[in-house]
Amino acid sequence: MTVLILTSEQDVTADMVVAQLHERGVPLVRFDPGDLPGEGALSAEYVRGEFRGYLSAGGRVVSMSGLRSIWMRRPNEPAAHAAEPSAWLSAESGQALYGMLDCTNARWMNDPGAATKARQKPWQLRLAHRSGFPVPATIITTYPQVARQFAEQYRHVVVKTVSGKPPSDPPMALPTTLVPPDADFAGVAAGPTLLQRYIAKRADVRLTSVGDEQFAARKVSEPGQVDGRYGDTGHVWEPVEVPARITRAVAAYKDLANLAYGAFDFAEDSEGTWWFLECNQGGQFGFVELETGLPIAEAVAGWLSFTAE
Amino acid sequence: MRPFVWNYARPAELSPVIDQYSYDPILQLNVLTDGRPAIMDRALLAAVGTTTSKAGSATHFDD
Repeated sequence: MTVLILTSEQDVTADMVVAQLHERGVPLVRFDPGDLPGEGALSAEYVRGEFRGYLSAGGRVVSMSGLRSIWMRRPNEPAAHAAEPSAWLSAESGQALYGMLDCTNARWMNDPGAATKARQKPWQLRLAHRSGFPVPATIITTYPQVARQFAEQYRHVVVKTVSGKPPSDPPMALPTTLVPPDADFAGVAAGPTLLQRYIAKRADVRLTSVGDEQFAARKVSEPGQVDGRYGDTGHVWEPVEVPARITRAVAAYKDLANLAYGAFDFAEDSEGTWWFLECNQGGQFGFVELETGLPIAEAVAGWLSFTAE
Repeated sequence: MRPFVWNYARPAELSPVIDQYSYDPILQLNVLTDGRPAIMDRALLAAVGTTTSKAGSATHFDD
């Protein structure tokens, strides 16, 4: 039985898992949907109530019935590398590929439907609260007056993107930023704006959960630092024990969200409370493993390799 | 009118040009110029930042 990894060639974090699968002798096919049609190909036939077919990439062929698991890592948009790419061709290729894979019995990390829902920030915050995490007060609005009132109420608030996706035209980075006291909120009317009560943190925590396993790493913050992804403070990620309450909340969250994998971000305040910021259903883990030695790639490979007796 | 959050944008970092390793379709992973898997050189991966939580930001928003 074969593991199917949907990702780009440039994804070296996936390489960490590929190497683990090689060590275990587990067959795998690495397939970038961006190569379909072209380097990647597929065929499936509907016969007596079943779709039977196969995928091929790089000279390897895998049958749909021979898949044990599918890892949605960092796939390019279907048909992204086609000779004549178009939105139509991407839609056609995506329907063919993912519709075909949805007809298999393979288990997903993560199921595409669950992944789509899990990306929605409002849904994340509601689910986090229901799972038992402390969640900072948050507002999403297109009303400048409402945004201003929220900022006045909490005094220190941050702004972040709703989707997490940065603009591409022109390409920009949108780090989570503390809103200054004299901010002009007129631009709130030009796009849904997410404001959140600022948590004065003493550390960032990244907890990566793979199946039933949890790996947490902590990095000390500089006073006033907001977005830990930007600015080198000289501090490094170190393994940290997970409080029992968080362990339970992570398990509940993933169960409710139907996620096999999740990378949770927390802000640790001066009293040691871990405030839920977000759960990235496809979040990076390579940097955590490289700095801490936490065996996350091994856990992913183990989950993908699992075969029910 | 610019969306409010754009007031706090900064220029996107350019993706690094990486010529220290390349994809090997036989092994299905990236290899260094001496043929070893790129993941063997952890210092290099850390330096080029391809495994960080900003690495996929240009095309993916699950970081």
